[in-house]
Amino acid sequence: MARLAKYDLVSIDDLELEDIEQIFQLADHFSQSLKEGDTPRLAQGLIMATLFYEPSTRTRLSFEAAMHRLGGSVISSADMKTSSVAKGESLADTVRVVSAYADLIVLRHPHEGAAKVAAEYASSPVINAGDGSREHPTQTLCDLYILRSKKGDLKGLTVAICGDLRYGRTVHSLMYALARFGANILAVPNKGMEVPEHVLARLAVQRNYKFATVSIAELKSLASDLDALYLTPREPHQMALFTGEMAAGAARAVKSDPPVVDALYVTRLQRERLKDGHEVGSEYFHVDSRAIRGSRTQSAVIMHPLPRTDELAYELDSDPRAIYFEQAAVGVPVRMALIAWLIQLAAQGEAKPRRSPKAIAFSSRVHPMCANPTCITRSESAYLSPRFRFAPWGDRSALTLQCDYCEHEARFDYVGNSRSRRYYRFDETLYGYVRRWVEEGSLMVFRDPKQAEESGYEPYRRGPQREVMNAQEMRRALESLAEQIIADLSDLTGVTVVGILTRGAILALRLRDLIADKTGIVLPCAAVSVVGDEARIVPLEGKDGLAFDGRTIVLVDDVINSGWTVQRAMNALWNAGRPASVRLAVLIDRGHRALPIRPNYAGKNLPTAPTERVRVYLDSQEPVGKRKATERVVLYSMLESGASKGKHV
Amino acid sequence: MDKARDRADELAGGDKPQVGSVTEAAPPPDRSAKASREAETTMVMDQRAMARAIKRLAHEIRERNQGQALALIGIVRRGVALSQRLCELLKGMGFADVAVGALDISHYRDDDRRTDGDPRLLGRAIPFSLAGKTIVLVDDVLYTGRTVRAALQALAELGRPKCVQLAVLVDRGERELPIRADFVGRNVVAGEARRVYVRLAEIDGIDAVIVAPNS
Repeated sequence: MARLAKYDLVSIDDLELEDIEQIFQLADHFSQSLKEGDTPRLAQGLIMATLFYEPSTRTRLSFEAAMHRLGGSVISSADMKTSSVAKGESLADTVRVVSAYADLIVLRHPHEGAAKVAAEYASSPVINAGDGSREHPTQTLCDLYILRSKKGDLKGLTVAICGDLRYGRTVHSLMYALARFGANILAVPNKGMEVPEHVLARLAVQRNYKFATVSIAELKSLASDLDALYLTPREPHQMALFTGEMAAGAARAVKSDPPVVDALYVTRLQRERLKDGHEVGSEYFHVDSRAIRGSRTQSAVIMHPLPRTDELAYELDSDPRAIYFEQAAVGVPVRMALIAWLIQLAAQGEAKPRRSPKAIAFSSRVHPMCANPTCITRSESAYLSPRFRFAPWGDRSALTLQCDYCEHEARFDYVGNSRSRRYYRFDETLYGYVRRWVEEGSLMVFRDPKQAEESGYEPYRRGPQREVMNAQEMRRALESLAEQIIADLSDLTGVTVVGILTRGAILALRLRDLIADKTGIVLPCAAVSVVGDEARIVPLEGKDGLAFDGRTIVLVDDVINSGWTVQRAMNALWNAGRPASVRLAVLIDRGHRALPIRPNYAGKNLPTAPTERVRVYLDSQEPVGKRKATERVVLYSMLESGASKGKHV
Repeated sequence: MDKARDRADELAGGDKPQVGSVTEAAPPPDRSAKASREAETTMVMDQRAMARAIKRLAHEIRERNQGQALALIGIVRRGVALSQRLCELLKGMGFADVAVGALDISHYRDDDRRTDGDPRLLGRAIPFSLAGKTIVLVDDVLYTGRTVRAALQALAELGRPKCVQLAVLVDRGERELPIRADFVGRNVVAGEARRVYVRLAEIDGIDAVIVAPNS
């Protein structure tokens, strides 16, 4: 009986160009044998399981048809939501169990990175049939295959991709793959659905693509030449991606001489990925025969991953350039070819090595989370710890990491060592150390010193401390804050006090008590937790403080510096309700704002140097024995890290 | 409530008192009674005053950001026109490294929508990376601060700029959020009963700032 290699297809990048070429040759062969009605029973005795956590007709049916054509069998769970998920089974457990039933798992999942997780836990090979808005490699294979069979060589082709370039999962895979074959991409996004940054970054670094920005005005000249192609969105902007050698003067070239488009790839609006209430329908692309009558699109084939909604007129179906039904039809031979390729791989005996960058795991209990809300590490957090890898792009002023599962990018300005419990301002000279700490498993990363200190880390080096406020002065400053608030807000009954965790929340409760002493009005309270890019509201002494609609919010923090923390805290307030207004109260305003934010009430304005740190020590934060005497605010200078400064590991 | 008033000012656009006629018919400032003042339409900036104010804004932006990688991001619609003018001026002053983008936060303004938390859906034309850049957010009128808050959320989602500064042609005070502008063309006290209309040649055919009663 045939066997399948344990080689997972998570991303199109898992296949080398030669692999893709081999698969295409197999697909040519199977297309022929399908026509002749004589397909080889290569997969006889093999079982494929299709696990679909999201509905899909085409992908699932074409996989199943491919397996049947090759003589294999299929077991299927078309709607996982009604089965194991409803019982709360994790993805890891599901694929481990199914590995015992089937030789091949085809997975579709709504969360980015799901296929990677499945590939790691399943002992059978896993084929990604779409994970969230990330990739859909077999669709990409089909797209490339039909394009190759219509246009010959992919190198140098200009493919215009239009519509939803943000949520469209097929599009990202397709761009990476086209880039590898050296095609030019003309990205024509619908408004608000531009190509995400991480996709552009990857194209720029891995494929040496340059972006020629075409302004709205220039686009119009292009549009007139492409006729009504850019008709529907109000004011689209676009980016053209060119291979390195073509980049020079590309923008000018596009302006004066728009490229001849070889293929027009129209995407479907991913309505299920849009949040409620967002209306795009009327603005979305609509491609009809008028749109492609221009000279630039004379020989362009029209592709669409199907199913179509309104973006593609039915009148195009009879146009010889419309190849989307053929594109769908090749789904079967291409997927047969993929299965046959896995069988070939197993027959060759040796395990095919995978190219994957080394991942950074954070061993400590406190670790950075992936900021992508639909990352698989967020929904399957019970057993998955976030994993990152170095992102080889971006400026080097911060440590840029990328989620190993969903590829969402994150920048960290501060790094820490979990053994020494010290943290450092990141700079390029620290790269060597950071790599070593990764080896040791002692790397920690922080957005800001505040986060580091709240995690129990101390700065690597600090100069002499200077007390800028003692316990008594701090009490007086809080009294003054309370008085400012009472004087400023005439109607205290509509006020809710919200403290930023953790010191801001402690101060918020104290302010609440002081205001109650002075006025007899006890204001409701809540807290907001700001960790990295994430901010969320948490209850503080009861749930009275959680209703924000129409309230005047007094947001409280100990020290304001750049303002980013306050900005994120406001995002959390807006996600939770509709405050009538927000006032900001801080114990210390130390300057150095990076955002146009100003506190309404400040206990003390403290001029500081950028390298200095202001640290507020509060009783409830200190070990019990040290309480009372230690309540104070100190200022110290934080010495820059840097390898030249000696051994500090 | 959430219908940010500062945006409503400019949105009211078309069915407003005709700009042309207002400028011609604008009566001389009456400093007698507050009531009559509030019922009045006054032009607080004409074309020359506006040109001076924008030029001064450009100078201040240049002074503060020498040697930085700068990006001006205008808030749709009049902020975009202003940012383009500022960009021209900055380039004229020899400030080479300036990029220009546009941000449309109109989806934020609707009352009942809960899409606010998801700036990914917002319209924008920012064809460059924000990482490490100094961003100057440009708008015509600063009022409650809600628009700016929404814009900050959208920018933070797009990348990690080094810092974000705010430049406005008119600051009319009465903030509801702890937002302040870094660069202000003119402070205008309008009162709740009146609106501030910024009119720009690119969009309205005339350069003027007018304070007129709410209709």
